[in-house]
Amino acid sequence: MRGPLPGKPRLAVPAGLAVPQPAAFKPPKGTRAVLSNGMVVHMLRDATFPVAHLTAFIRAGKIHDPAGKIGLGDMAAGLLRDGGAGGLAPERMDEKLEFLGASVESSVGIEESRLTLTSLSKDLDEVLDIYAAILTAPAFDPEKTAIRREELLELIRRRDDDTARQAVREALRAFYGPGHPYGWRPEEATVQAVTGDDMRAWHADFCRPGNVILAVAGDFGTEEQLLARLEARFSGWKGGAAALPGIPPVGLPRGRRVFLLRKDIPQASVVLVLGALKRHDPREFALMVANEMLGGGLSSRLTSEIRSRHGLAYSVYSYPVKKPDHGYLLAYCGTKPESAGRAAAEMLRQFDLMGQEEPPAEEVKRAKDAIANSFIFRFPTPFDLISERAAFEYYGYRESALDDYVDRINATGQADVQGVSREVLSTGDALLLFVGDPDKFDARPDEFGPVTELKEE
Amino acid sequence: MPAPRVVFTPMSLTSDRTLPKGAEQETDPRLPPVVSYTLANGLRLLILEKRFVPTVSFTMFFKVGNADCRPGKTGLAHLFEHMAFKGTTTINSAGYELEKPALDRVEAAAQALIAAESSGKASAESLEALREELDKAQEAADALSVKDEYLKIYNSLGESGLNAMTSADYTVYVVSLPSNRLEAWMTLESDRFKNPVLREFYRERDVVLEERRMGESDPNRVIWEALLSSAFSEHPYRNPTIGWPEDIRRLTRTDAERFYRTFYTPDNATLTVTGDVDPAEVIALAEKHFGDWKRGTAPDRNCPEEPPQNGEKLRAVRFNAAPALRIGFKNPGMDHPDIYPLIMAGETLSGGKTGRFYRNLVEGRQLALYAWAGASTPGNRYPSLFVVAAAPKAPHTAEELDAAVMEEIARLAEETPTRWELDRTLNNYQAEMIKQLESNTGLGMSLAQNEAIMGDWRFDWKAGEHLRRVTPEDVSRAAARYLTRANRTAVFLGAQEAA
Repeated sequence: MRGPLPGKPRLAVPAGLAVPQPAAFKPPKGTRAVLSNGMVVHMLRDATFPVAHLTAFIRAGKIHDPAGKIGLGDMAAGLLRDGGAGGLAPERMDEKLEFLGASVESSVGIEESRLTLTSLSKDLDEVLDIYAAILTAPAFDPEKTAIRREELLELIRRRDDDTARQAVREALRAFYGPGHPYGWRPEEATVQAVTGDDMRAWHADFCRPGNVILAVAGDFGTEEQLLARLEARFSGWKGGAAALPGIPPVGLPRGRRVFLLRKDIPQASVVLVLGALKRHDPREFALMVANEMLGGGLSSRLTSEIRSRHGLAYSVYSYPVKKPDHGYLLAYCGTKPESAGRAAAEMLRQFDLMGQEEPPAEEVKRAKDAIANSFIFRFPTPFDLISERAAFEYYGYRESALDDYVDRINATGQADVQGVSREVLSTGDALLLFVGDPDKFDARPDEFGPVTELKEE
Repeated sequence: MPAPRVVFTPMSLTSDRTLPKGAEQETDPRLPPVVSYTLANGLRLLILEKRFVPTVSFTMFFKVGNADCRPGKTGLAHLFEHMAFKGTTTINSAGYELEKPALDRVEAAAQALIAAESSGKASAESLEALREELDKAQEAADALSVKDEYLKIYNSLGESGLNAMTSADYTVYVVSLPSNRLEAWMTLESDRFKNPVLREFYRERDVVLEERRMGESDPNRVIWEALLSSAFSEHPYRNPTIGWPEDIRRLTRTDAERFYRTFYTPDNATLTVTGDVDPAEVIALAEKHFGDWKRGTAPDRNCPEEPPQNGEKLRAVRFNAAPALRIGFKNPGMDHPDIYPLIMAGETLSGGKTGRFYRNLVEGRQLALYAWAGASTPGNRYPSLFVVAAAPKAPHTAEELDAAVMEEIARLAEETPTRWELDRTLNNYQAEMIKQLESNTGLGMSLAQNEAIMGDWRFDWKAGEHLRRVTPEDVSRAAARYLTRANRTAVFLGAQEAA
């Protein structure tokens, strides 16, 4: 924290708190096993409550959709759960699960699909039967397919109702290009193009034992009992890892780009996007610390300047996202149209300052402490912990990556922070997106760079 | 048949430790072994020991919400909540003896500006001059403060989820820390609530106005605000928690300090501590740090009673967004026995994919993108609303969906639900009761809320017993009595004004 100002009579921070002891915590390992069909299982038994949780990481994300069928993953993953399976009609499945107070849910993310299960321990066998049927033999019921398709089309119709989400989505779309999987979004035509055969092929290609990592936690009996339960249901299911569709290379133009989306709305959105790191870049820890200082934490520079000092925003933050080849760092600010220009200028200034000036040692230390000391909150429950272990394997991290995470953060120095800031946070090649009514703005968007106007469809 | 009740034997009782006199530990094996204790000044403590990771979650809960704000002062509870992050006489201050007079000059300048703005007679030039004066006073006060020191301390301590929430009924301050920071929390938070200094008040008011603008840009918030302000004509549940903009602009630091003195007293607070802690140590530290916090005098809680509704209210809200529907039926309040059949009615209509709304409106007739119901919004301290939230799927309209929702409700009133439907709800309720114990933060919040608002942290478990006794006939009877056209308010939102 900042040192006392002249005239400050005494240290405000109670003496016992000034140097907090590090929070020593070694996350439990859990157990990693491989089923006879090659499926990897991470498990952590905890019998505190009579509940069991399970999730499957399935190597299939929105970026793996075919270009003409964007939305396939959304349709297929949704219908894993809703389309019936293993001879069980969809309605019957709903009745069985809901009567037991159990849940099985499926979803698709950017780079992964998930199938999760929650069940009281006493019902685990019955729920696991349904879960296994969903993962290995989904039926993609045609009537449910039609309903799911209509739901996705309605969500497309509604996607601009939430301006903040619209702004972030459109900024990334402009950044990577609407034809690149990192930037694209489903459209009516691409959702309409998805067929039942496409979904069956999606399942055959991606949902295979070699493509799935399971994480299980809770009161599931002994590890041997759990493995026997899983073998009984999955040993007949075969298939190695599948080749994923290739992602086209990312091409980012040089120079500042400004986009404007006109919308008459009480609060404008300002989004800043920069090219950042790919996954496994050794600079990711330094960037994490830099972002904590810039816009990650409660007392970060963006929050402190734009919100607290100037009262320009309620919501202002930044975060980095890793990608297989070319990640990004995004900052968001919601402000009244009359201060959109001032907010954008302050965001740019704060980004550039990060690389231009040596970061104060005290600020770097606080950012590192914040990340290191709050590390344990990634595992509030055994299920969160074992899911994190599975996720680290899914994303190709070393087995010990979770265990030496805090050490890697602590090893970050001031020079590392400034170095990565200079490389990543300089705004010369930044993309800036404004959503709002430019006639009410306090600055013209073209004062920030050449403007491309986007249209709401 | 509903599933058998679960017994919490795996959660260890702390009977091997000596609890101080006056502390009680729950021993009913169907309930979590919560330790409860009340300080002499009235501060109520609830402690639940849970050990997986060395963390602890704190919930400091005050029974004060927007319903306690006087007319013209809506949003004061929420604005105070923001101010409670701005430090104390020692934290965020470079020396309070010097800072205090500077803050008083800010207050005088702000009150002069608000008076001039409210008079409607001041010239643009004189308003500008008053604004400049306020800016100057604020800058002078800033120079005597230490910016964001409170937040930076928590940052270094490794906080997770440092936040606060205000509702119609309550205000709650939450944070989780590594468990070896127990005394750090006690030190910081006892100071926070005993010695707050509301510095940067007028800038934070601007932040809140931005928060309000964010809501005004969001059709979901706009439609809820329209429902509450239309459904209630007198009761403060009609006001948005964030406040009406014209009220927020006139709130002063003096208002907030008066509000603090009235409601932020230990006898109006409940503290839950869940996680890797020793209850005896929590009690000892609470005595040490909070023991000298002065008890308050019972605040005036009288607020206008809502008159009986004498007919259907319909409202159309024009907003550039896809159509949506909200319906509110006046309920009899959480202390009325009819609330349990109403909860069952809500679950029968909208519990999961086997609920009637999903089966018949989302699937079936395919009118709705979503439709759900809940028995008590926006609060539980006073009679509130049984609500239905729904959105149509194009080409269907909100009006068509409204008709279909009302048909489902009429059917529930005419034909009793099946035993299977009620048992499904009971089984899910029980499973949820177990799952909520898994999360420290969620559990802390629910224990505090039940203790402070419903009168007993065991409320959810007791409610489960009430729900078990509800018959299918009770559900239909409650639907016929409360879920009627004459008792409802419906709001239709869309780009076109509804017919």
